[in-house]
Amino acid sequence: MALENAHIRATCIEATEFMDLTRKFRVTGVPKTVVNGSIEILGALPEEMFVRGVLGLPEADQPPTN
Amino acid sequence: MALLSDQDRQIVREHLAAIERPITLLLFTQTIGAPETALLARQVLDEVASLNDLIRVEEVNFVLEKERAAQYGIEHIPAIVLLAGDQDTRMRFLGAPAGYEFMSLIEALIVAGTNDSQLEPESRALIAAHATAPVDIQVFVTPT
Repeated sequence: MALENAHIRATCIEATEFMDLTRKFRVTGVPKTVVNGSIEILGALPEEMFVRGVLGLPEADQPPTN
Repeated sequence: MALLSDQDRQIVREHLAAIERPITLLLFTQTIGAPETALLARQVLDEVASLNDLIRVEEVNFVLEKERAAQYGIEHIPAIVLLAGDQDTRMRFLGAPAGYEFMSLIEALIVAGTNDSQLEPESRALIAAHATAPVDIQVFVTPT
């Protein structure tokens, strides 16, 4: 995502090496993603759900089932 | 001692062959009082760089080169910044990229080196439309 847009910065953090950050963001399981220090995403999500989560967008509307 | 087996080196070399432009791995560390993982980070990066001529490692002294640390927003060490040419790809790693993070590092090198995020067209469209202000993504992982 960082490569796609100059506004985006992505950091992969080794949780056990940076206990101060791990505590600050209350990381109790991995992977855990924190966006702008506030939005939290737990686990590995499908790509579109992850992208929407990072951008703070609602989940995609489900196509109507008839 | 090498961290990767001969077989792993060959696999990683094949993956990295996709890279088309020079990549610099800036490793922020310090000479005195660096965490033990900084040495491991350096060893991992040197091994990766030895597998592809387009990849190089540059060590930056976190204490003495504060301006560069600030330029890339580095507040902890060891930290790795991926540059494509002299351009910041805005991809970073905190800690030694061993275990799970090693594969992430290889993937990040390929994304940076091919200038292709490998995202689906729908994702790219969402990002182009909605990433209009700074977005700081931190992904916490563990080595195993």
